[in-house]
Amino acid sequence: MRYVGEALALVAAATLAQARAAAAAVVVQYEELPALFDMAAARQPGAPQLYKENNIFKELHITRGDPAAAFAHCAAVVAHTYRTPPQEHAYLETQGMLAVPQPGGVMQLYGSMQCPFYVRDGVAAVLGSTLGATQITQTSTGGAFGGKEDVPSLPAAHAALLAWRTRRPVRLIYERDEDIICTSKRHAAVIRSKYGADRDGLLRAVEIEYLVDGGAYATLSPIVLFRGVVHAAGPYRCPNVRVDGYAVATNHVPAGAFRGFGSPQVLFAAERQMDELARQLKLDPVELRRRNLLRAGDATITGQTLHASVGATDTLDTALAYVREHPLAPPPANAPHLKYGRGLSTIYYGVGLGVGGEYLARTGATIQINHDGSVVFAVGTTEIGQGMKTVLAQIVAEALGVPFASVEMLPTDTTRVPDSGPTVASRATTMSGNALLHAAGQLRERLNAVAAEVLGRAPLQISLHHGQIFADGAPAALSFAQLLHECAVRRVSLSAQGWHHPRPLKYDWQTGQGDTYVVFSFATNIAEVLVDERTGATTVLRVTAAHDVGKAISPAGVEGQIEGGTLQGIGYALTEEIVQANGVIRNPHFSTYIIPTACDMPELVPLIVEHPFPDGPFGAKGFGEQPLMGVAPAIANAVCNALSISQYELPLTPERVWAALHSA
Amino acid sequence: MNTCRIETPRTCAEASALLQALPDARVLAGGTDVVVRLKDQLIWPPLVEISRLAELHGMTEVDGWLRLGALSTWTEIERAALTARHADVLVEAAREVGSPQIRNRGTLGGNVANASPAGDSLPALIVLDAELELRGTQSTRRVAVAQFCCAPGKTVLAHDELIVAIWVPVRAGWRGAFVRLGQRAALAISKVSVAVRVLRADGIVQDSRITLGAVAPTVLRVPEAEAVLRGQRLSAAVMQAAAEVVCAAARPITDIRSNEPYRRAMCGELLQRALARLAEPTNPSDPSDPSDPSDKIT
Repeated sequence: MRYVGEALALVAAATLAQARAAAAAVVVQYEELPALFDMAAARQPGAPQLYKENNIFKELHITRGDPAAAFAHCAAVVAHTYRTPPQEHAYLETQGMLAVPQPGGVMQLYGSMQCPFYVRDGVAAVLGSTLGATQITQTSTGGAFGGKEDVPSLPAAHAALLAWRTRRPVRLIYERDEDIICTSKRHAAVIRSKYGADRDGLLRAVEIEYLVDGGAYATLSPIVLFRGVVHAAGPYRCPNVRVDGYAVATNHVPAGAFRGFGSPQVLFAAERQMDELARQLKLDPVELRRRNLLRAGDATITGQTLHASVGATDTLDTALAYVREHPLAPPPANAPHLKYGRGLSTIYYGVGLGVGGEYLARTGATIQINHDGSVVFAVGTTEIGQGMKTVLAQIVAEALGVPFASVEMLPTDTTRVPDSGPTVASRATTMSGNALLHAAGQLRERLNAVAAEVLGRAPLQISLHHGQIFADGAPAALSFAQLLHECAVRRVSLSAQGWHHPRPLKYDWQTGQGDTYVVFSFATNIAEVLVDERTGATTVLRVTAAHDVGKAISPAGVEGQIEGGTLQGIGYALTEEIVQANGVIRNPHFSTYIIPTACDMPELVPLIVEHPFPDGPFGAKGFGEQPLMGVAPAIANAVCNALSISQYELPLTPERVWAALHSA
Repeated sequence: MNTCRIETPRTCAEASALLQALPDARVLAGGTDVVVRLKDQLIWPPLVEISRLAELHGMTEVDGWLRLGALSTWTEIERAALTARHADVLVEAAREVGSPQIRNRGTLGGNVANASPAGDSLPALIVLDAELELRGTQSTRRVAVAQFCCAPGKTVLAHDELIVAIWVPVRAGWRGAFVRLGQRAALAISKVSVAVRVLRADGIVQDSRITLGAVAPTVLRVPEAEAVLRGQRLSAAVMQAAAEVVCAAARPITDIRSNEPYRRAMCGELLQRALARLAEPTNPSDPSDPSDPSDKIT
């Protein structure tokens, strides 16, 4: 056993009482071994070795220029250590699977998940069965946030094993406390960060050590760490950089994917550092950022030149303009203990799996036009509350020239399309969108050819909009229903398969230099808070969030993502913290793990900025994770500005802020 | 699914008899504490569900006392004219409880019987000098709320006894306030709470009650702080002095919700806020006051 909550035995029964009785009859004899619950202790020489070599699952480095030498010439240097807690996903429904053995040896699973192909591969491996004899259907999933990336493979394999053994359907649904105790969390992190700038505020040198607590198994830690080190210095130019990242093994519950994937931790540190640097340089934090932000043609800290779709400065200007034009009412005059503060963060997010997950970066899709004009499509990515279904249906409708209402998405199922990789990394819109465009293009070619033949025109003269056929831009004497009939008469297939993979990336894993992601999204958050200096309590008044999404295919969906992610970011900033004592989670309930409620919601101002991504469907780039990522540093900067203090640790509980005020 | 025996008595006598006959039975009122606790248990105890006991419902004024049926919900307490007139501090506490759904289900008697150190009714009822009417198979007795809880979750209630009503003495001229801190704006268990009631004549404090919640195994009344107020105007210096006394009297712990030094300091801070509000002419929309639900600063 490597962590509290690890599966030890599986019990299936016809009633809960029987199951509990059977579980109670399992006698376990433990021989206690030394355990590690602290990253610093795990890295000490002589520490108990959880695995053979050392207690490091993965280390990654970025080296660029000569930071050590550059610091000597800096006018200002700030060095601080930042800490962030494990965060719980708090998705709507807990992990749950239904395994149903089918005639012919097929194991069918239904459940809440992000990545049906991961579940398929996991179940097949555990059962020793083929991928063909394993069918996974995603059921309605009410939020996942990374918590249903790799984890569902475990309850799925457990349910499948029991179903295989009993030859009966098995349902396995976690209680909330079980779910919180034994499933992945956002990695707790320690970030040691040193920034140096010249007199004009230009970043000259950055040194960062990034430690994440991977818990008892490596799971996704290596790739979480990769995203972390790439994002470690934020969306700024810097010629001299050293980033050292380590994923440390401990005996905590394994940490894993969570919206932002290793970047919210480092971005908290990076954006606090920018404010600390501005304070030391006596420079406006906005101006400091403006002077350093990446623009088209600039290179990131890995030396990747950004050619297009670089809206960083535009998000900064858009958010600032809104706040300037819509000032909040001043704080009440009779409450001098309530201090107003404003803070900002500017961040970026590498869209898609990137060079660290390139081998998974491909996606399939199918589209079928039925003879009644209805259209169904299937993709391998999943709807998990992020609005993918709507966006993809819009893309299909637009590309085929049919009404949006005639398009339906089929439930995601591993037997409908080829392995399309996971629904992670904000990749569904771009990846499945492009695969659908590929499929729709083939169908349009066939429809245009038949229409041209019927109308006696050339295919290039034909166009289709909202189910109406045009020849040379004028409505044609051919209805869509007639066109479908003509296709049927000619026995033309109105089903097509699409496929997409992004352009390859070149990266040197030794130096950490090269191309990391196909494109980056950008965001600026401005948080405005009132902090009660007598209780340390922070009230968020407003968050103004401007996001460069390339193209907002569904603007309402984009705004919804910004609102949801911002609220989740407020929780990360102010209240959310998994508390562990000797590896035991002490707050596995929603009465003790404190997520924001509607009453904690401030005014949210989502602002859409569009710098089109040439390789994205209609210019879109993914951004679903980004809304959470920059909220905590913006709020932290606002709290620090309100009280003229410095904070280096999340969450900013009243206790922590009060202690900072009383130690000063 | 779990199965359990549920009894639904029509009279208090029936209920007490059932409790006597069923030594492991639990009383079920609104269920906002009991059901949460039973949820994970495989075998449920028999439940004596008391919603049909007419005597436990309703609010009346009788001979200088406000009688609150034990099954009065938080929502009823929040809205009733009688509580607004005679139990201001309890109304303020009621507003702070849980969420609208919990306030619709949860009952005053249930919150008292639950005897949580963080239960929001207890500090308010103690500053009101409230008494409990307890009825068992043999007798009916009255116990001061202040004497009711002995430890977290432990009370002087006998197994066959029910809380029938909460009796609040009607007293002219007293004004009260309840303020608390939770981990978020709603659905939060108090990490510190303070209830105060003050009787003044010409601005001079004649008498007062001060209690602290969630900073000791049971609610603490702080007579030393009340003594500081006696004979004084509610000046900043007097409020400060009383605040220092409650900080010293508190016996908080560090737990999942807060820590010892913070809780101790907040006892004083909250007392000052409560007293400051009583010192002012009534101003229900004072934005500096965290106990006022209308204080959302926007």
